[in-house]
Amino acid sequence: MKKQTKIIISVVAVLAVIAILAGVYFALAPKAQQGSKSVTVEVVDDKGTTKPYTIKTDAEFLSQVMDELTAAGDFSYEGTNGDYGLYITAINGVTADYDADGAYWSILVNDEYGMFGADSQPVADGDDFKFVYEVYAQ
Amino acid sequence: MHSNTVSDTKEHKKVFSVMDIATIGVMAALLEVVKVALQAIPNVELVTLLIIVFTLYLGPKSLIAVWGFVGMECAVYGLGLWTIMYVYVWPILVLITCLLRKHRSSQWPFVVLASMFGLFFGAMCSIPYFFMGGYATALAWWVAGIPFDILHGVTNFIGAAVLFTPLMKALDRIRRLQPQS
Repeated sequence: MKKQTKIIISVVAVLAVIAILAGVYFALAPKAQQGSKSVTVEVVDDKGTTKPYTIKTDAEFLSQVMDELTAAGDFSYEGTNGDYGLYITAINGVTADYDADGAYWSILVNDEYGMFGADSQPVADGDDFKFVYEVYAQ
Repeated sequence: MHSNTVSDTKEHKKVFSVMDIATIGVMAALLEVVKVALQAIPNVELVTLLIIVFTLYLGPKSLIAVWGFVGMECAVYGLGLWTIMYVYVWPILVLITCLLRKHRSSQWPFVVLASMFGLFFGAMCSIPYFFMGGYATALAWWVAGIPFDILHGVTNFIGAAVLFTPLMKALDRIRRLQPQS
């Protein structure tokens, strides 16, 4: 066999196996790479408009889910870090100013008021989180 | 050193000559040094190529150098699941190289062997996971590592294509320097 033929056969054989492996990877890998927890997030803004999100995540805390949603686009938040952890001041550009009109962003976990700030709220598979713009009635 | 195993037994010589023992020791040390020198770069290694070349030079006796290398790895890193993988993965390479021995006039069968060994390294190493967690665990473990296997196969191909012939020439020179037994 000519040397050139040998080189061509060698390269083709290796490339063929690479193609098969790549095929197996793209067929099977995404499932292995996705986050293991599936959660839903809803944002209810000052006009009562609801915006739902679903995400697969490995996040431990809600703030990480918020960061992942931000990275995916179509979600944004602002907050301050105080003595009690992350205090959300704005979501999707809607700012709640408690000092001005008693408005705040509340966190509902599975339709009950959350006990923690977003950065210490644990995330479990199947959780449903809501960020609701609320105004404290005097 | 020149006489093969068959004539050794005929002459009632020992299977391993003094030269063999010294060579095997140096080979095992070389494997470990080359492994450590390149371990900072994931899946870029010359261990595969060296084992192929050593096996073409020594035959199945290179298994001793391979297991010596595995033993040193265990001494450095401690025992782990990879120990089981290493104990059988590298001898598979020695076996296949022995089977391809008569094609040694060309480098290409061995370049392909080195590359294929890299490409299927993850698949071969997933076998212990089959016994631990069943088919799904082994498959998931293998699939997750495929990008690294492809990199491994490509770098092994390049490494072997560049270095196989010079290494074989060097070993032939060493062989010629040895005293006739």
